[in-house]
Amino acid sequence: MKLYEKTAAELSEMLRNKECSALEILNDVNDRINDVEGKVGAYVTLNEKAAESARAVDEAIARGEELHPLAGIPIGIKDNISTKGLRTTCSSRMLENYVPPFNATVIDKVNDAGMVITGKMNMDEFAMGSSTETSYIHLTHNPHNLECVPGGSSGGSAAAVAAGEAIVTLGSDTGGSIRQPAALCGVVGMKPTYGSVSRYGLVAFASSLDQIGSFGKSVKDVAMVQSAICGYDKMDATSAYVENTDYAANLRDSVRGLKIGVPAEYFGDGIDDDAKGSVYSAIKALEANGAEIRKISLPSTEFAINTYYIIASAEASSNLARFDGVKYGYRAKDYDGLTDMYEKTRSEGFGDEVKRRIMLGTFVLSSGFYDAYYKKAKLVQRKISNEFSQAFKECDVIATPTVPASAFKIGENIGDPLKMYYSDVCTVTVNIAGLPAISLPCGKSKDGMPFGLQFIGSKFAEQTILDAAYGYEKICGGFDSLAKNL
Amino acid sequence: MKEYEIVVGLEVHAELNTESKIYCNCRNAFGLEVNTQVCPICMGMPGTLPTLNEKVVDYAIKMGHALNCKINSVCKQDRKNYFYPDLPKAYQISQAEVPLCEHGHLDIMVDGVEKSIGVTRIHIEEDAGKLLHDESFSGSLVDLNRCGVPLIEIVSEPDIRSSSEAKAYLETIKSILQYINISDCKMQEGSIRCDVNVSVREKGSTEFGTRCEMKNVNSFSAAVRGIEYEAKRQIEVLEAGGTIMQETRRWDDAKGMSFTMRTKEDAQDYRYFPEPDLRTIVVDEAHIQELKGCIPELPNAKISRYVKQHGLSQIDATLIAEDIDKSKLYDECVSLNRCKPKNISNWILADISKFTNDTGRSILETPLTAERLADLIAEVEKKTISNSAAKKVFEIIIKEDKEPAQIIEEQGLAQNSDMGFLEQLVKDVLAANEKSVTDYKNGKTNALGYIVGQCMKASKGKANPGMVKELVTKYLNE
Amino acid sequence: MSIDIKHIAKLSRLRIEDEKLAKFEKDMENIVAMVDRLPDIEDELTLDPSDAMPLREDKAVPNKFTRDELIANAPEVQAGCLVVPKTVE
Repeated sequence: MKLYEKTAAELSEMLRNKECSALEILNDVNDRINDVEGKVGAYVTLNEKAAESARAVDEAIARGEELHPLAGIPIGIKDNISTKGLRTTCSSRMLENYVPPFNATVIDKVNDAGMVITGKMNMDEFAMGSSTETSYIHLTHNPHNLECVPGGSSGGSAAAVAAGEAIVTLGSDTGGSIRQPAALCGVVGMKPTYGSVSRYGLVAFASSLDQIGSFGKSVKDVAMVQSAICGYDKMDATSAYVENTDYAANLRDSVRGLKIGVPAEYFGDGIDDDAKGSVYSAIKALEANGAEIRKISLPSTEFAINTYYIIASAEASSNLARFDGVKYGYRAKDYDGLTDMYEKTRSEGFGDEVKRRIMLGTFVLSSGFYDAYYKKAKLVQRKISNEFSQAFKECDVIATPTVPASAFKIGENIGDPLKMYYSDVCTVTVNIAGLPAISLPCGKSKDGMPFGLQFIGSKFAEQTILDAAYGYEKICGGFDSLAKNL
Repeated sequence: MKEYEIVVGLEVHAELNTESKIYCNCRNAFGLEVNTQVCPICMGMPGTLPTLNEKVVDYAIKMGHALNCKINSVCKQDRKNYFYPDLPKAYQISQAEVPLCEHGHLDIMVDGVEKSIGVTRIHIEEDAGKLLHDESFSGSLVDLNRCGVPLIEIVSEPDIRSSSEAKAYLETIKSILQYINISDCKMQEGSIRCDVNVSVREKGSTEFGTRCEMKNVNSFSAAVRGIEYEAKRQIEVLEAGGTIMQETRRWDDAKGMSFTMRTKEDAQDYRYFPEPDLRTIVVDEAHIQELKGCIPELPNAKISRYVKQHGLSQIDATLIAEDIDKSKLYDECVSLNRCKPKNISNWILADISKFTNDTGRSILETPLTAERLADLIAEVEKKTISNSAAKKVFEIIIKEDKEPAQIIEEQGLAQNSDMGFLEQLVKDVLAANEKSVTDYKNGKTNALGYIVGQCMKASKGKANPGMVKELVTKYLNE
Repeated sequence: MSIDIKHIAKLSRLRIEDEKLAKFEKDMENIVAMVDRLPDIEDELTLDPSDAMPLREDKAVPNKFTRDELIANAPEVQAGCLVVPKTVE
């Protein structure tokens, strides 16, 4: 078995036992990148200083220093997370040459842990999209079927893990941008509770919904990364104090007594029968292993997508206004005066999907429409949150499909925004309510494309959903996340 | 012509004198090299987030207390969205729906009449950067040092009825800012700026006229000029049968005119919404009360005390109370109980004010302590020295940092008030100037002055001139 | 509902090319029709004191960044300043 095929937990053991070096792991991953990146297109930028970090870990090992469990583990970073000295494009022409002068808080944490950053991962432009097709840089292909999308917006992060081009990766999730591509690429992806991971340095899409999280081939890997990146950050006023965060060490592999809520609203007509079937089978297996299944209801789910697009677009219209060709990023070549410079710069620098969302956001906030859209959406948001709080009085976790269908073909939905938006139907509620959720590989379509099982927890119940996920992983006998025949 | 009434509402922006900026740790400093007091946060770099400075909240609450406001212990911040090169995030973090303070009032005194002006709200927000223009350069230059400097905006009700009321309101606001020490109030550095809303209506009408907002009013005197200009302009429009259009106008103080900036039709749509990067501001009640306890005696209370307890005139009391340095010196001096408050007031408003105006120095930075001033005035009251000698002592105190008694001694400024000495002196002088005595008796009254002058000369200026004059008059009329 | 795309684009400082305008208009109409479907909730948004944030101590720290680092990404720079088209006549 090649090193790139192993999990972070396994490689961590091997490093400790001196069965391999950090540089060997990195070289193996780099070889894999050389082999498959041309087909997958997961990366935007490779980190030229990766070997330097790997050597530093090896030197620390040689000196007998105590290391973080993730030291020496190659990690890919979604390209909307600021990396000092390493360009951070958000897969947009607007930031094609932008090199941040500072690190995101999560990057400082990743560096402090001694992880080795392999590079920056492709994504939908400014994280707006569900297929990574809106990237200005290039397409990313699903490693399980190169004709299909990897999902999005963190498509590069998900595809890289499935392709063995990184051991773990970081992504961001505003409406499903970690869980949906994790499901479509057959890997594990977790969106933590809003506030548990600092957003400082994450280029904002929708500030009240954005959250950084991770991808891995196993639940334990995701648990390890989450432990490393979470925690209060004084630079982020919305971050929270979190206690007992040694998730990997505390993992429970039994689901006995676990109360799993199953909401009918997530198994409606819009969900592919096979996707539903896979999740039902998983729930049966969990029940057979001692979990208690509860039917629950989350009646406002039907308004989630609408609510999400109003709130997310409103915030995005404001967050993306700073890209004006003055301080950083793209500036149009020819213009006549200030307004013309602004309009040309922004029209040439942003792709169509970004423009649509900015305009939707501008519209819902504009004079005369605020109450009818934004305010109403905020009221529905509160209702959705309250319904979740009620539900968690009856159950520990909620199980749903992650995606309404398996990965679609590249180009299939790009012309139809509404169809594209619908891919987030099972995931947006979690962001609206600020909850943690994890997506796990769960069966496959007739064409062999992965489906996802989503466990949703109450606020800061990361350990609970990780335990449930770990239990399920044990029942499955492990996940087969790596794409074959690539 | 009909009789009109001016209706004015003021929005005062005051920069707070905190150590750091409102949303980042950059230094809050004026006048430094361009783009050196900035960081990724106040430059609005992608991914950066604001964190709210606690002092800004405290300072705004203090101002709220000083202006008798209700303090909203639970409030939030909102984004005001607009594109301009001096606003790096393309939104200003401000407060829209729920300000930190609201429903207050400020009592002002105009021509001896007290009037209460409603304060609608006080909210916190960030300042923008600066645009620099140069004739020789085809573009504009952006300096972001001022981005994120904390501001409070104080919005008044449209209760102001004249430019002199506006001036009194602004002067009082400024002195309060200084008393509670939350703003440097340096007008020339733009640390206080205001927007002026002006409308006019027929006297007696209860409906408001259409208002125009004037921006770019950078001094209190400009506010007075702007209001007078704008009211006159509006009255002329109405008298000519026209109607006032709601618009934003720019005041050009050099030209003494206002110009249309934008009409109601192209009014900005700021698309306010709650700032999602900041959570709720919650201030506990005990802290709010603690801040209330920190508010010193404010100018209005001082004025009333000076008038009622010290017998100062309303005008003198106001002049002293509105200037924090003057009132500090005055209060200290009075508390020593060595001389009459009225005399202290006269000294402060005459010689000391002249000195501060001429030199631009603060009296608090000179060797003239309250102790020394009180001693100096006491010597005058005791007639140990003359008024003109006292002025000399005052100058020497400031120059040489010495005690008044020492200066009087060294300079030999003490007056001779010994009755025996003075009687002999006057007799001698009268004997030596018989012609003048005759002149006086023949009705030439100015001979009196001459004789007094001769007495002073004979005493080498040390004789108490008042007493000399009394004695000369007495003897001449015998 | 028909949306004044040109007005919204102007507010957003965006310009939609003529050949894309029709599609944008259609897409926006569809999206707005979708998000329009929200229930009326008879309630007000209230502030939640339990959502309190910690405030930052008022302490200035020495600059961690040089001016050159901070303006390194700017499209046009002159004398340490960012350059924009002239904003006054």
